[in-house]
Amino acid sequence: MAIQTAVTEVAASKLSSLTPFWAAYKAHADAFDEMFNRQGAPRAGYSRVLAEFLATHADRFDEIRARADRMFLNEGVTFNVYGDSAGAERIFPFDPIPRVIDAGTWANLEAGLIQRVRALNAFVADVYGEGCILKDEVVPADLIKTSPQFRRAAAGIKPPHGAHITVAGIDLVRGADGEFRVLEDNVRTPSGVSYVIKNRLVMTRLVPELMREVGVRSVEHYPADLLASLCELAPSGVSRPVVALLTPGVYNSAFFEHVFLSQQMGIELVEGRDLVCMDHKLYMKTVGGLRQVDVLYRRIDDDFLDPVVFRPDSLLGVPGLTSVLRAGNAAIANGIGTGVADDKAVYAYTPAMIRYYLGEDAILPIVQTYLMRDPDMRAMVLRDIDQFVLKPTGESGGYGVVIGPKASDRELAETRERIQRDPAGFVAQPVVQISTHPTICGHRADGAVEVAPRHIDFRPFVLLGERPRVLPGGLTRVALREGSLIVNSSQGGGSKDTWVMAA
Amino acid sequence: MLRRIADHLFWMARYLERAEWRARLADVNYHLLVETPTKDPHPWAPLLAITGDGELFAKYYDAPSETDVLDFFTLQTRNPSSIVSCVNAARENARSLRHRLSSELWLEINTLYLDAQQWMPAVFDQQGVYAFFNELRNRFHRLSGISHATMPRDVEFDFMTLGTMLERAENVSRMLDSKYHYLLPRLEDVGGPIDRMQWAAVLRSASALEAYRRVYGNQIAVARVVEFLLFDEAFPRSARFAVDRLQAAVERIEHTAHSGEPAVFAADSPGGKLAFLLREGNAEAVIAAGLHEFLMEVQDLCADIGSVIFDKYLRFE
Repeated sequence: MAIQTAVTEVAASKLSSLTPFWAAYKAHADAFDEMFNRQGAPRAGYSRVLAEFLATHADRFDEIRARADRMFLNEGVTFNVYGDSAGAERIFPFDPIPRVIDAGTWANLEAGLIQRVRALNAFVADVYGEGCILKDEVVPADLIKTSPQFRRAAAGIKPPHGAHITVAGIDLVRGADGEFRVLEDNVRTPSGVSYVIKNRLVMTRLVPELMREVGVRSVEHYPADLLASLCELAPSGVSRPVVALLTPGVYNSAFFEHVFLSQQMGIELVEGRDLVCMDHKLYMKTVGGLRQVDVLYRRIDDDFLDPVVFRPDSLLGVPGLTSVLRAGNAAIANGIGTGVADDKAVYAYTPAMIRYYLGEDAILPIVQTYLMRDPDMRAMVLRDIDQFVLKPTGESGGYGVVIGPKASDRELAETRERIQRDPAGFVAQPVVQISTHPTICGHRADGAVEVAPRHIDFRPFVLLGERPRVLPGGLTRVALREGSLIVNSSQGGGSKDTWVMAA
Repeated sequence: MLRRIADHLFWMARYLERAEWRARLADVNYHLLVETPTKDPHPWAPLLAITGDGELFAKYYDAPSETDVLDFFTLQTRNPSSIVSCVNAARENARSLRHRLSSELWLEINTLYLDAQQWMPAVFDQQGVYAFFNELRNRFHRLSGISHATMPRDVEFDFMTLGTMLERAENVSRMLDSKYHYLLPRLEDVGGPIDRMQWAAVLRSASALEAYRRVYGNQIAVARVVEFLLFDEAFPRSARFAVDRLQAAVERIEHTAHSGEPAVFAADSPGGKLAFLLREGNAEAVIAAGLHEFLMEVQDLCADIGSVIFDKYLRFE
């Protein structure tokens, strides 16, 4: 691709400074390149930063990357990998070339995200309330009642202003046509927002002049917005609610984020053993005695939340919590059982859900999804299994996903067998050629730093309190291995700062 | 404040203080060896006796050679009270409460921890024993400086003070005991030049030599060293100083917590007894009655205070 074209258009004055690093960049043959169009000109939003990027020497990016990694390690901005020995901490590798979203694109995304999360929230309230959408057969009732995420215990819990989903992380990808599509909803305990804020902190420390010049929207307000949304959940009559964040503890993969958010919000970070329920009220054990808790931002799964109602062997939760919630003496975010809304099979019905509850067409399209519980769809998919992405409905974090064109014959045979054994446990989707972004990819044989296209996705965060609040930005994850489509931190992904332009 | 957080603060501070004293003990032993040549085939063995780790050491090693003792005492994670083990434990506690620590303090603890994971036995050859422990001691001083410069003086700081000062009182007494017991095998040396040099090394390892000289001049005598390290009101690593700070912190916590139970430092409690011993005692009397017995009593009282504090404020399960 002719990057020189881009340079003559946006940065003629800096032509002389075009480094071999950028000149060597070759966009992906089929995927949508986020930075350059097919003619090699910068896309909307990038024109202002591109001149700076092109003039930035590769070594500078490399240096920023190394300094960022060191900063994250020293500050303990790490995640734990399950399956490794206890306490194995890794940093989430940081790529210093930011992803840019122009103001117009963002405005549309923001509207689409609010619309979607409002509909998902209405769905949760409905499923555990009157069940209208099931009675009207817009969503099949047996799909919900057999969902592994359906929690009978949630029936009858009425959170203030109907907020079951307080925090949502919606995974978006951009296909070859450049259109953003929803890939997955995360409305249980979505994580990653701390990296959004930390990545920004790194960029403002390392390239302050660039950040100032181009007008990027700030992400630092998120903890305050989250706290406001949580306080709005407090039982009526409580003017200064006591809010706490419930973590499974130091060995949880997202422990850093729990620490970070509680610190930023100035609330207690508690473990299950710090809490006790008495007389249908929730308390934490302090040096001065028991102190009542009004709102709990829980970062542990339903199954572990209350051993009285869910898994009796759980040591992480608080016995009796569900009865406190039912009595209305405390609220939790997110509510119990919200996982019915982010089930991968329910996903197929989300456009219908939006129409049903809001009377609107979905602003953000989803990826065509085939339910393997449907015999016709199953037959069609199994005929050409190597053309599809196969996803277990109950898993998250990229676990268990099989990408047909990249899978071995043996993997495909095994997947086929698993689908036939448990059809309801799988969905299939066509392979989305997800977009790529220029990314620092180590060093060439001659020692020069290399920039190459790598696949990326995007997780913006939506807060639903008395009013919706969307973080202007989000987590851009990048699959650092060449050709890989899996961006999860647990599977070799890294991240980039995401710049939403002010205008 | 959560009881669990109070517990983590207490133990974080306590393990850091313990690691620092370990570095000091290694340093004193090093100076003794350099300054008073010995025919002892295992001149590093006293370290094991002082800390009571001899048995565990014998499980893993044959003879207490310098290399093996330094390895065991400093680096071995199989030894739960090696310096690296203490640093790891302090950091693990810090990790659970890092939202309550200043980011400067967390960063310092975490980088010390990350560096400690890289230490290999060769580090003593590469840097030299003296330089290694000296640098380490400086890092502990920096940690203490950062916590004083960045942490609010509230009840959380008081719980850190509890951990630090309790460990300190215990370690001062242990270090004095070691000199009395193990480093002075021959009676005829008492008061002689070797004895004086050894006491000077003890003072130096507590960063106390200069402060001692300001009070007592050049004359190094056992009664004065004992007086200084046990009973001096102003020196920050004396047992008296530690107990004064401990009591002040406990009383602030009691005031905040309104527990209404008998105070930790009530007259007939372990706290009250320890405060009495260190405020009213003097070196001459203590040496006449038996220094070792006195030091053992100090250590026992420290352990008792620890369990009272645990029952009153830290137990949460």
